[in-house]
Amino acid sequence: MFQVPADDEQLRQRFTRRAFAAGIVSLAGLGVIAGRLYQLQVAERTRFAPLADHNRIAVDIIAPERGRILDRFGAVLSDTTEGYRCEIVPALAGPLSPVLDRLSRFVRIDAAARERILQRARRQRPTLPIIVAEDLTFEEIARINLEAPYLPGVETVKAGRRRYQQTPFVGHIVGYVGGIERLALDDDPLLRLPGARIGKTGIERAFERDLRGVGGTRRREVDARGRIVRDLELVEPKAGRDVVATVDVVLQSRLMIRIARERRAAAVVLAATTGDILAMASAPQADVSALQGGISTDAWERLKDAAGDPLFDRATSGQYPPGSTFKMVTALAALEAGVIGLGETVHCPGAYEYAGHTFRCWNRTGHGACACHRALRESCDVYFYEIARRVGITAISEMGRRLGFGQIYGNGLGVEKPGLMPTPDWKRGALGRGWLGGETLLAGIGQGYVLATPLQLAVMTARLATGRAIQPVIARPVGVDVRPALPLEIKRAHLDAIRRGMLAVVNEPAGTGARAHLDAAVTVAGKTGTSQVGRGGTAWTDQDHALFVAYLPADRPKYAIATIVEHGGGGGAVAAPLAREIMEMVLARDPGCATAYPGRAHAPRAQAPQAVPPRTELGG
Amino acid sequence: MAPIRPELAGRQPSLAAKVAAVPWPLIAVITLIAAIGVMQLHSVAAGAPAPWAERHAGRFALGLIVIVAAALVPLGAWLRLAYPLYAVALMLLVLVSLVGIESMGARRWLGGGGFSFQPSEVMKVAIVLALARYYQWLAPERVSHPLYVALPLAMILVPVVLVLRQPDLGTAALVMATGLGLMVLAGVNFAYFVAAGAGAVLLAPHLWAGLHDYQRRRIEVFLDPGLDPLGAGYHITQSKIALAAGGLTGRGFGEGTQSQLDFLPEKHTDFIFTMLAEEWGLVGALGLLALFALAIAMLWRMAIACESRFARLVIAGNAIVLFLYVFVNVAMVTGLVPVVGVPLPLISYGGTAMTTILAGLGLSAAAYVHRQTRLRRGDVAAWP
Repeated sequence: MFQVPADDEQLRQRFTRRAFAAGIVSLAGLGVIAGRLYQLQVAERTRFAPLADHNRIAVDIIAPERGRILDRFGAVLSDTTEGYRCEIVPALAGPLSPVLDRLSRFVRIDAAARERILQRARRQRPTLPIIVAEDLTFEEIARINLEAPYLPGVETVKAGRRRYQQTPFVGHIVGYVGGIERLALDDDPLLRLPGARIGKTGIERAFERDLRGVGGTRRREVDARGRIVRDLELVEPKAGRDVVATVDVVLQSRLMIRIARERRAAAVVLAATTGDILAMASAPQADVSALQGGISTDAWERLKDAAGDPLFDRATSGQYPPGSTFKMVTALAALEAGVIGLGETVHCPGAYEYAGHTFRCWNRTGHGACACHRALRESCDVYFYEIARRVGITAISEMGRRLGFGQIYGNGLGVEKPGLMPTPDWKRGALGRGWLGGETLLAGIGQGYVLATPLQLAVMTARLATGRAIQPVIARPVGVDVRPALPLEIKRAHLDAIRRGMLAVVNEPAGTGARAHLDAAVTVAGKTGTSQVGRGGTAWTDQDHALFVAYLPADRPKYAIATIVEHGGGGGAVAAPLAREIMEMVLARDPGCATAYPGRAHAPRAQAPQAVPPRTELGG
Repeated sequence: MAPIRPELAGRQPSLAAKVAAVPWPLIAVITLIAAIGVMQLHSVAAGAPAPWAERHAGRFALGLIVIVAAALVPLGAWLRLAYPLYAVALMLLVLVSLVGIESMGARRWLGGGGFSFQPSEVMKVAIVLALARYYQWLAPERVSHPLYVALPLAMILVPVVLVLRQPDLGTAALVMATGLGLMVLAGVNFAYFVAAGAGAVLLAPHLWAGLHDYQRRRIEVFLDPGLDPLGAGYHITQSKIALAAGGLTGRGFGEGTQSQLDFLPEKHTDFIFTMLAEEWGLVGALGLLALFALAIAMLWRMAIACESRFARLVIAGNAIVLFLYVFVNVAMVTGLVPVVGVPLPLISYGGTAMTTILAGLGLSAAAYVHRQTRLRRGDVAAWP
């Protein structure tokens, strides 16, 4: 067996045969290519070649019209104006100066523009057009075309400008388009066109592919002086798709105006079953219209350094300790793990001893015996310390993630922060220290390392309300189907208990969120949160964050909202009434939601001077 | 295991005999091709030796010396290097997926500072050597044994998958085709390839159904660039116009206005053939193709003349590589296959492609010089 096999020679013969065949195949392959070359260079030459030797065939790219951005009811938020501009191709123009001289007789070209054109011509490839003037008048267009024979390389090109509507209210959602800094070789050649714009932020950026469309091409034969000899082929561009923003621009504007009254705050309104973001506001607000028009570096720097960082969208990027609004997560984690029963009570004496430390309940005198329902209604901290200890941090974080925390949704939302669902592994990796038991207790009441964005709080609320993994969505291209969200796989009885607890928060006398109660047929379920961020001083920054989350109508959820007022004070005292105003705005845009709802348009509520809320420790 | 004594059977020829045995005609042909490349790069740079022509010439001159030197190295040394080289190439591919330089959405390069290279290029040489080495070791009666068919298949598929994930479809296809071609030439029963082809045809719809929408879209555009007229299709249109402008006899050296002026991308690398065909016409283009055909035919003839399976397969593998490069590149610029970014050997500017091709030719020359050397199974261990 280990002898030299007798059939080595056979293998060699086989090799020779196959090598011979391979040689023939490779020659045949080259033959095919030779045939193709003959076809292109001789047989079908006239299809592609210029008629005369000195002529050349120019392939121009025709930009498609960019899709519009609409609000959910079809109001135009962004579209493109009709307009023409004048371009020059240096390779066809020859010496630029005489052409520009002639052109400047009827198109305004000032010294700065002239300098810019000449500089560009030195820097870029001579075949790329350079913009000479924009927004041409009809007279200018006519004159250019009339004088075309004496203006080699000069063309009028259809090129509108992007126009934005309702910018103060939706500018941060719609975003804006801008020039392109760097191009990769295999990028869409469209982007090489002069004046090409791509989405820089918001929907303009996230849905760039849909909005942009597909460029067309025009093949023309031109002579050595750039005059058009004949048109060969025109491939029409395909216009970009319209994109529908999920926001209702009316609700959005009202929410923005309301939130702008707060020093630093954010609010999100979701359609509970679809995840559509109906409105999303953050204060302080920046005037983004300046950005859309192309902003000067100076103004940009000023805006960037302005107090409160107005360019920062608190709704999607502000990361806050969620405080007691997080208690539903802790409760579900414990219930699902079976470490506590629905009716099982925990005694609250006003404080909780653990590992030699005292963890206080916001109610110093204690709640007495609390089961899940009462603990949620009155936001009893001790109950949640106890169940958090029983179930452990990993289960809490895992449930937090299931309910939408600790992640970035994508979906075209642009700038988003993930918040934080802490685990022992995370802490070891990030801080290099082990997890402490007391930190689990703090996480159980939404403090400690736990961080969430207002958008995530709204998503959590929508998920609790519907029992489905709702994903927030800011826009959809026209013609894309909406897929229903998957179920969360949480026991029905547990979810119902949480929902009853949230209902009690707003609707039972002892509930912490009574101020979110709507005096109408629409019932609200909600949860207050007061997250401690200060160090006990009296400065504004030492005040607690006030939070409130809610969904409505409680029996058939349509809307989920979340709001936060930075350093506003107590959730029940400050955030709940704000949430109530927001819910009234929502219902005013949805008369079908509750036929009996009287609406408050005729009795606008002035910002009621509120008594200084009693300072509470934690919870609501 | 027997000791590694690959040269046992044949006597080592003298240095003079070796020099005389170097395939000089082949070297003459490839020098001619490279000279055409230098000339064309001169024209691309609007009639200047800088920045491409002179460096191209320098690289080739250096490469020639290396080819001749490699040709004189005993075959056994290359045999011993085959697996280690393959292992190194494989490690580099893994490394590139971990710490590679990302550029334009793909991770293909390794390096730092001013130096970078593509490990997939090393693999193009290594896969030929390794498969030739494998079939030198394998007993002829086992060539079509399922296990011994699966083994080289794995040797091909592992790097192919790694390259695919970079992603670099063009190189992956090239390595795959080279490897499978070598298996055919090594004598693997043809039924395997017929079955694999039939299986691929039957499985394709199922694989297709399992893909994500964006993956399907990518493949659709790959198969039909017309779907993306401004992407790949746009370059092809430009290329076709330039070819047509060239006509039968061309516009003359340096007169390829269509290529010189217009939007033809990568004139000095992937699309250099277009420019040559515009300036020299069909006559020039076919002339260059004929030179390539001659070089490829010479390689096949050299392969057949060798005694050992290793030598035969090394030369055959490089014949396949050279053919695939030329075929894919020219088919690409003439719009027969999608744009995949394969350069034209010895003509296109670029250090890595030149190195790969010259290394392959050097190994082929070495195999040919030692064509009388008999390597026996007992002389070759399974590893290394």
